[in-house]
Amino acid sequence: MQDDKAPITRQKFIEELLRYRKGSVTRRHFLGVTGLGTAMAVMGGAMPLLSPRRAFAQDIGGEVVLATWPNYHDPANFDAFAAETGAAVQVNVFGSNEEMLAKLQAGGSGWDVFVPTNYTITTYVDADLIEPLDLSKLPNYDAAAFEARFADAGTVGGKLYAVPKNWGTTGMAWDSSKAKAPFTSWKEFFDVTMTDFSGRTMVHDYQLTTIGNALKYFGYSFNSIDAKELADAEKLLIDVKPHLFAITSDYQPAMRNGDAWLTMCWTGEGKQLNRDIPEIQFAVGKEGGEIWSDYYAIPKNAPHRDAAYALINYLIDPQVNAKEALAHGFPVADSRVNALLPPELLADPILHPAAELLNALEFGAAVTLTDPNRAELMARFKSA
Amino acid sequence: MAISRHKARLLLLGPAGLWYAALLVLPLAVVLVYSFGERAAAGGYAPAFTLAQYANLGSRWAAFKNTLVLAPAGTLAALLIAYPLAYFLAVRVNPKWRTALLVLVIVPFWTSILIRSYAWIYLLGGRGIPTLLADLGLGDWRLINTPFAVLVGIVYGYLPLMVFPVYVSLEKLDKRLLEAAADLGAPPWRSFLQVTLPLSLPGVATGSMLVFILLMGEYLIPQMLGGGKVFFVGNALVDLFLQSRNWAFGSAMSVTLVATMLVVVTLYMRFLKRIGAARDDIGVM
Amino acid sequence: MRIYATLVYLFLYLPIGIIALFSFSAGRSASQMQGVSVVWYGKALSNPFVIDALKTSASVALTSAVLASVFGTMAALALTGMKGRLRVLFDAMVYIAIMIPGIVIGIATLIALVTVFDSVNPWLEPLTGYRLSMGFASLTAAHVLFTMSLVIVIVRARIEAMDRSLIEASSDLGASPLATFWQVTLPLLFPAILAGFLLAFTFSFDDFIIAFFVAGSETTLPIYIFSSIRRGVTPEINAIGTMVMATSLLLLVLAQTMLRRAGTSKQ
Repeated sequence: MQDDKAPITRQKFIEELLRYRKGSVTRRHFLGVTGLGTAMAVMGGAMPLLSPRRAFAQDIGGEVVLATWPNYHDPANFDAFAAETGAAVQVNVFGSNEEMLAKLQAGGSGWDVFVPTNYTITTYVDADLIEPLDLSKLPNYDAAAFEARFADAGTVGGKLYAVPKNWGTTGMAWDSSKAKAPFTSWKEFFDVTMTDFSGRTMVHDYQLTTIGNALKYFGYSFNSIDAKELADAEKLLIDVKPHLFAITSDYQPAMRNGDAWLTMCWTGEGKQLNRDIPEIQFAVGKEGGEIWSDYYAIPKNAPHRDAAYALINYLIDPQVNAKEALAHGFPVADSRVNALLPPELLADPILHPAAELLNALEFGAAVTLTDPNRAELMARFKSA
Repeated sequence: MAISRHKARLLLLGPAGLWYAALLVLPLAVVLVYSFGERAAAGGYAPAFTLAQYANLGSRWAAFKNTLVLAPAGTLAALLIAYPLAYFLAVRVNPKWRTALLVLVIVPFWTSILIRSYAWIYLLGGRGIPTLLADLGLGDWRLINTPFAVLVGIVYGYLPLMVFPVYVSLEKLDKRLLEAAADLGAPPWRSFLQVTLPLSLPGVATGSMLVFILLMGEYLIPQMLGGGKVFFVGNALVDLFLQSRNWAFGSAMSVTLVATMLVVVTLYMRFLKRIGAARDDIGVM
Repeated sequence: MRIYATLVYLFLYLPIGIIALFSFSAGRSASQMQGVSVVWYGKALSNPFVIDALKTSASVALTSAVLASVFGTMAALALTGMKGRLRVLFDAMVYIAIMIPGIVIGIATLIALVTVFDSVNPWLEPLTGYRLSMGFASLTAAHVLFTMSLVIVIVRARIEAMDRSLIEASSDLGASPLATFWQVTLPLLFPAILAGFLLAFTFSFDDFIIAFFVAGSETTLPIYIFSSIRRGVTPEINAIGTMVMATSLLLLVLAQTMLRRAGTSKQ
């Protein structure tokens, strides 16, 4: 099966075809190498009558639905999970915590596992939208392995509702071949957008970071809900809007193909971009900004609860989690995982900014999620 | 006999009536009631009686403006591109090929609009047409995430809906009329203006109405090709329900959108009646 | 003229060609050819969520198209020759249902149903252990609203164009009203009903925006595609699109051939 995954070039395909015709390779080899085999095998597999379901150690059903963020997992781990348990993972991607909350509030999201950010968990608990976790079903979870500041938010009123996934910062990524000087602050981010980078910048479709970083431009708190400070931020955003390339939380495609040169960016994605395209650099603003921690949680009325626990437990297995971290680049708060990661990753300046930069960052505050003025400001900015 | 016929009628109308009551009247009534309410603390709806939501509509003026400019512009662009094609298919083409060519117009329609718009993201993005233009020395173009990109998506998405009604009305055109006009020495443009165009107006009216109605509620195309920068009322609505969770304001905006449409469509129908293009049915089919 | 038409067809088929081309890419990127392979066809067909979404879309479309055709035809028959307030009311309903943008239908249905469910569930659940929620039924019902109105318009237009003398002749010859209906009226209306059914099916199968709001935990094919596009497109989506299109083309060619054969055998 491994062979099938590797891309095959047109030339290679033709070579293999010729070899097969000549009889120097077996049909099986030919099918395997070209991927035709997988295609045929699964076409057979798609007919349930032809291939009886395999028996698995524990029957958790055939499906599990995960609501998460863009570029946040190693797809190979889902394939491995499916092979091991028989449950295929459907990944739904969201660009903001608001979107996840709205979907759960409207009822019947159909999710089994989702990935809320630290500051939102109390709201989910208050609204009775998530359920306390049964730790007996998560043997891979070890509370002692986590740094408290990245794990605290999972516990509300003495009950554990969520287990930590990754932590990170929200900074900016830019194409250094286009920039006159490296970016160091949110002030530069917005100022350069309105001049040299006009039409080349992206901000998140997410009120917390887009408004928060506009607030940092003026040196206000990232979490401010003060009317006057928000008015300043709104004015800045409205002025910047004509100079933006897009308002989106899925900014990698445009950065990769060169349409955009600068974007608000979550650490791991900055790492992914930098790894593939070294000209793209990442920094957090020196005025401050966001530090965050994401969690796995299970919504009330999750349709496949057993599979939900199995999936979380699988993903927080240190071996699997290390593979995840290598793929997506986001730092992990689990010391067991860090022990498995290469030291250069743990010393990476993108993932682990210098202490003085880190100290200026703020965790999001619960009030920003529910504050009507911030929500309305973001909506006004988008429709301006 | 009369009574039983009346009863039979009611029975036949029953299911449809039930549907309209439960899924049209009730939801619209709820929307109307909610539009006078407030946003609940954590989002959603809280009962109240206030005109605050309507007073706040001004803050979404840009979305209304975009919709009211780009929906008619898109309709017009689709019409201008569709008309010659419909004319070609109805009048000029060898009848042997007609069916096949007509089918070819609808086939793209069977691929999800999502996938087709996605293809345009690639074509209009930095590595698509702009690269081609730059290589040809035609300058630096930025197409994706502009109103132009949205317009292209609109024309692409709705072209078949415009071609068909126009084609149907042109097909009924008696070609002998054109021949007669030519025999009488009328230049082609005159016979087009005086014979062909008036006869095709019902098709033009139907197609335009169909496309315009769909565009007024458009969400997907601006979402995918506008990069969050070209905002329609539909995008603002989705935002209110799926991000900022302000059901009351979203309801007020829905009411306003429907009211705007009713006004525009009624005016348009009246205009059509005046130029004699309206048909008896409501112009949908 | 011919050049113009060629250009329009090029415009129509360029994006489709791009989709089909990238569906054969071997790499993960849907916008770069990295070798030729059909792996993504295999992946799409072995992905249980694609199969599920396809099944959901097909069953919603089929159910709603059947309901819409039956109820719509019934209503169209009843409305023929009807006068008075009820007629005016129904005409208004049909008109509004067709006019209102799908996004408003979606939103209105969502908030109305959520409101109703929230008030019903607290006593329904303890009593029956069952709770109402958005899903297959709400989605189908919302689609029927629009498609039934389409059927009413189409079938009524056909009734109005129909030759009444046939029906009169039938009853003059002593056929019961029911027999007249089955043997004369229905066959005459059949093409219109079929057209309405097909339109209804296509609309429902392709609808994204209504489903986006009222599908609850159900995932239809357009919803699946939408979330895949956000997740970063792999050629799997291209493969699905190409297959759906190829299937429809195949069905069309089949239908055409069958119609032609039926036509020649009659002669």
